[in-house]
Amino acid sequence: MNNEAVVTQDLNLDLNDRFLLFNIEDLLYGVSLALVLEIIQIQHITHLPGVAPYIEGIINLRGKVIPVLNVRSKLHLPRRDYDEKTCIVVVDMQDMQIGLIVDSVSEVITVDRENLTSPPEGGDQSMQYLSSVTEINGKAVLNIDFKRFFQEDIEQFANF
Amino acid sequence: MHTIDPAMESMLEAFVFETESMLEQLDDILLQSERAKSLTLENINDIFRITHTIKGSAAMMSYDGISELAHALEDVFYVLREEPGKLALIYDTLFDLVLSTSDFFKVELEKLQESSEYVEGNPSHLIQRLHEQAKLLSNESPTSFEPEKADSIKSDNTVFQPQSNSYEILIHFEDDCQMEHMRAFMLMTQLQNFCEILNTIPSNPEEDASLAEQINKNGFQLQVVPNDTIDDVLKCIEDSLNIKSYEVFEIELPDLSTIETTTLETHEEVLHSSEHNMDEKVVTSISGAKQSLISVNKTKLDHLMDLVGELVTAESMVIRNPDLKGLKLDNFTKSIRELRKLTDELQDIVMSIRMVPLQSTFKKMDRIVRDMSKKLDKKVELVIEGGDTEIDKTISDAIADPFMHMIRNAVDHGMELPEERIALGKSEIGTISLSARNIGGEIHIEIADDGAGLDAQALLEKARNNGILTKPESEYTDKEAFQLIMLPGFSTNEEVTEYSGRGVGMDVVRKNIEQVGGNITIHSERNVGTTFSVKIPLTLAIVSGMNLSVGNTVFTIPITSITQSFKVADQKQVITNVDGSEMIMLRGECYPIIRLHNVFQIDTNTTEATDGIFIQVESMNSRACIFADELLGEYQVVVKPFPTFFNKYNLKEQGLSGCSILGDGTISLILDTNGLLNLI
Repeated sequence: MNNEAVVTQDLNLDLNDRFLLFNIEDLLYGVSLALVLEIIQIQHITHLPGVAPYIEGIINLRGKVIPVLNVRSKLHLPRRDYDEKTCIVVVDMQDMQIGLIVDSVSEVITVDRENLTSPPEGGDQSMQYLSSVTEINGKAVLNIDFKRFFQEDIEQFANF
Repeated sequence: MHTIDPAMESMLEAFVFETESMLEQLDDILLQSERAKSLTLENINDIFRITHTIKGSAAMMSYDGISELAHALEDVFYVLREEPGKLALIYDTLFDLVLSTSDFFKVELEKLQESSEYVEGNPSHLIQRLHEQAKLLSNESPTSFEPEKADSIKSDNTVFQPQSNSYEILIHFEDDCQMEHMRAFMLMTQLQNFCEILNTIPSNPEEDASLAEQINKNGFQLQVVPNDTIDDVLKCIEDSLNIKSYEVFEIELPDLSTIETTTLETHEEVLHSSEHNMDEKVVTSISGAKQSLISVNKTKLDHLMDLVGELVTAESMVIRNPDLKGLKLDNFTKSIRELRKLTDELQDIVMSIRMVPLQSTFKKMDRIVRDMSKKLDKKVELVIEGGDTEIDKTISDAIADPFMHMIRNAVDHGMELPEERIALGKSEIGTISLSARNIGGEIHIEIADDGAGLDAQALLEKARNNGILTKPESEYTDKEAFQLIMLPGFSTNEEVTEYSGRGVGMDVVRKNIEQVGGNITIHSERNVGTTFSVKIPLTLAIVSGMNLSVGNTVFTIPITSITQSFKVADQKQVITNVDGSEMIMLRGECYPIIRLHNVFQIDTNTTEATDGIFIQVESMNSRACIFADELLGEYQVVVKPFPTFFNKYNLKEQGLSGCSILGDGTISLILDTNGLLNLI
């Protein structure tokens, strides 16, 4: 029993230091692996009227209806057609499951906390959602802060 | 302050449930007696029994306020029970006092359910008043008034004299039920109604908590001489909670009346030796009788309902699996038919479990009418019909408040004063009738009063002053004018009374009813009365709907709102206005057209009126024709709400009430006809 508890704790610590990397345009973004539930293929999305333009609609995830957001539009980047690499990353925010459409996912990395640096001050709109920046194999990885990312969508985050 | 230990949770639930139903019974007795203008001895006994039980169970849960108040109430009825002649002394104040006591209990129960940190209310003013009444009755100082001592345990310490029809009963409580001494005490009080003589061992179980263990170990022994037959006593025992087993022995030897203790000892031996043989049999027979009713947590039912919904969806995923297309599978089809039958049955059962009769909701109205008519000096009678009509628990909860409001309105605004009624040649006593009927998948509830009726002119004037008229006043028909009262910001009563005009108007009523998928219409005639007709669906979870496709999106329209569907042969039938809006002529009437692909911005190739299909829908007296690509057929769909993520977008106002997962895994959007019609 005790051993098990220790293991899960380690796992949690571990997850917080690990990031799932995905590509948007030619930039590499990271999301904390602790938030990621699964990665699924792009599938048929049912559109809803009168919602923010970056909300693509809803999908059926094994009997559960979840909203899907287009990360490109959310970052004010031009849309592009889905291809075979396009994925939906399902994340868990406040017990809400939300799908994020990304160009492609690349890998999972482990980052030491000291290697995380704060994002540049100011910057354009796509920079405001970042929690930290790190570097891997000479490429910059932008880690998304989901509280900021969803502050327009989820009320609890509005005053963040 | 009480914090509730999780182990106590189930006991708390049982307490709340039990007490609630007893209070309902209490109110019922009071209202009926008051109407009949007499309180029979039987009623007094019933009330006494109810208060006594509440006192006992509240003490068991250590809710002192409730227990003390129940005690005070019991004091009053104790005297009345002994000397019914004294009833006249306090008759006038009695009903109000007992009802407000009952209200206090209800408030406490609500508080108990709401939070885990329960702060008891202070009933001292009520206790004070009850004591005054008791004093009035008995001319004794109220503090020294201790009736239940003298009453319930009257014969306890006398030596038991076995008579020809005396029995000995040994009761074992369930192993983990706790507080056996209080349970034993409550059982005793219940049994008193059926017994001429009742002796127990231990004799005063409620007085010493340490007796609990003893009772647990040795069982609770009763020596009874029943009023009538032993069957009544046994039935009462069977109906009590937490009893594991009981054994009955007829006492045959008349000379056993020597010394009590020896009698008992011998009996104990007999009991123990026979216990092993009897135990199993007895337990099964009791559980059979007791299991006929159980209370279940609603969230569990919701979960079960969800699962059945998933099952129905999964089933059609299997049946309509694209992999099976074109295959000839005779045995498979046969099995599928069997499966479908079972899931249908399962679905029906689960639905029926969630159904509750409207009676308890209606009964609450009785009380409101009574209180209000008394305060407002009006004479009003409430007639209830069809209270046994069943409806989904969620809906029943949701409509309680709107109905209460409508009843209040009816008494407050609708009913005239008795003298006015007489002047108008009506009967002095006004009638409000509340009737429910089940009509094909919907419940129709009518609230009709024979009061003053609505004044269309006054309504229009008021609406004009509030600036909520949307067209010239002269164009409003009476019916349209009546609908005005359900608009936000409308209240016809200038004065704010205790009962109405608290900022909750008919608009809230309408909203609440619409939230559960219902609608409301008003019919009124000056000086004849007003009738509110409410139509609500039986259940929210599964609706039968017509599926339509627009582009690659699937929509579901609830069958109940569809009038007809048709194709248009000639483009000329569609009339286009200057502003681009379209209309269609059907049997001499003109209906607006709602093109789903335009409303929801969906790409589709079917834009010609002659290519697609029209579905005529109706909601809240307005009608329109919906234009879609094609009909996919009728389906039973499981309604799912949109993810909470979309709470900030009012999708209902966009014309969507929810979504549903179809057999092939795609999502259909369920159209909210009402919202959709409001878009145009």
